[in-house]
Amino acid sequence: MTKIWTIAKMSLLENSRKQVFHVLCLLMLTVIAGSVLLSIFTDGTKLKILKDLCMTCILFGGAVLAIALGSTGIPNDVEQRTLYPIIARPVGRAQYVVGKFLGTLLTVSMGVLVMATVFGVLVYSFQHGFDKFLPLATLFALMEVAVIAALATAISTIATPAVSAVVTFLVYICGTIKIGYFGGLIEQATSGAAKAVYSVVYHALPNLECFNLKTALVHSDKVPIAYLVQVALYGLCYAAFVLFLGSLNFARKEV
Amino acid sequence: MSQPLLTENLTKTYQLGKKKLPKTALDSLNIEVPEGIIFGFLGPNGAGKTTTIKLMLDFVQPTSGSATIFGHPTTASSARSLIGYLPEQPYFHKFLKPIEVLSMHAVLAGVDRREIRKRAISCLERAGLSDYIETPIAKLSKGLTQRVGIAQAIVGDPKLLILDEPASGLDPIGRHQMRDLLLDLKNEGKTIFLSSHLLSEVESICDKVAVLKKGKMVAMGAPDSVRSSSSHVVIHTSPIDQDMLERLRFLNVSINRQSDCTVLTIDPKAIYEVMRAMEEIHLPVYKIDTQRESLEEAFLRLAA
Repeated sequence: MTKIWTIAKMSLLENSRKQVFHVLCLLMLTVIAGSVLLSIFTDGTKLKILKDLCMTCILFGGAVLAIALGSTGIPNDVEQRTLYPIIARPVGRAQYVVGKFLGTLLTVSMGVLVMATVFGVLVYSFQHGFDKFLPLATLFALMEVAVIAALATAISTIATPAVSAVVTFLVYICGTIKIGYFGGLIEQATSGAAKAVYSVVYHALPNLECFNLKTALVHSDKVPIAYLVQVALYGLCYAAFVLFLGSLNFARKEV
Repeated sequence: MSQPLLTENLTKTYQLGKKKLPKTALDSLNIEVPEGIIFGFLGPNGAGKTTTIKLMLDFVQPTSGSATIFGHPTTASSARSLIGYLPEQPYFHKFLKPIEVLSMHAVLAGVDRREIRKRAISCLERAGLSDYIETPIAKLSKGLTQRVGIAQAIVGDPKLLILDEPASGLDPIGRHQMRDLLLDLKNEGKTIFLSSHLLSEVESICDKVAVLKKGKMVAMGAPDSVRSSSSHVVIHTSPIDQDMLERLRFLNVSINRQSDCTVLTIDPKAIYEVMRAMEEIHLPVYKIDTQRESLEEAFLRLAA
């Protein structure tokens, strides 16, 4: 565990110095701050619009950061040969992959937490009170980020940074519309083969929509604890499985 | 106790290009590195030296054959806990300081947590970096970065050091210090596997050498046994003109024209014939000497 943590710490230091991290964080913070202006024009529902916009920013910004950082970490180490002295140590390839994933997750979490803090301050100033649901919504946004970061890290063990970023982004889009779109395709499929193909795609894709607690936050709906536990477990298992596949591939990779 | 390093018919074939054409980078390599020696691994570019090192460190998998480190297969993590590795041109994250790089590698090498900083500083001092412990890598020269690499290789107190071009980027003083450091490490009982192009360095410190050519080993043994046992005669004479040069060429003489003299290297059997020819063209003899083949000459003979 110490070795994984050391690699994660190094990855965090490396990622937090990347321009893409600073630019994306600043961009999202600007949009979050700008959402105040937008909500001013829509009296009555301004708080709902503010929450909707800010939460969208956190979810989308977190996902893009996870893709940008997760898909470049390992390939950059291979290309710049910073990987060599590390894997020449008694460090398993799986430990290295998990360390890089954790480093990415910690970096994105830092960005997401800054965004969530600014969001929290804005909500406080609008409703003159703290929204207790906000930390929970942020936590589940981080779980979505973890799944995306795991996917990007795993794909980057077999593909170039550009390819893995594009593929992960596509999976992110498909995972976000999975229930509505792919669920509908299965229902509408007439042939058995098509139904089977759609089913495989449906089950292989992550269900990212389940981590999105934006609607509950905006409308102050209650979310059953059992559902939250189930979603958390699903996220954990999906990320672990994807990382397992990535580690398995990286263990045999010639560097 | 098992050999620090042993390879048996180690072979690596890469599939190159879109057509996946096979290219044998290493062909049935058999080497034995006894404990406590400095082993020089020589070969021209593309001979398979780096591939061999990559196989030893499990960066790539062999097509056939095997390699062991102190009896452990190279695929085992236990083998890598006994190794310190210096890559050719080591790269570290530029924002880190040498002390941070060493501390990280100490953790990865399994050094006791309480000892990490002390060990890191001691290794940096041994590598001649006392004044640069807190300087970011980005501000260090190539030679100083190479020294960080050397310190990184010894931080885990390994029993076997695999060094790929350790003197690369070092100035003459640095090379001298490196040679002393390697000899000190050898005296401490470490085994050193040294891949280098600096043949004079290898000749002066290595107990055993292996020469690789196009993936095959062409010679292995003590530097003395690799060099040809026959000696040759070296004659220093005055600078010569083109006519004299043509005349001597017929006598199978190796001619090295220098600014203030000419050095003729000849087979001892041809000495009288050459001397006669020199007399005919009135060439003076400044100095005459016998010389044994150097490791560099042996390398050129074996690997060129």
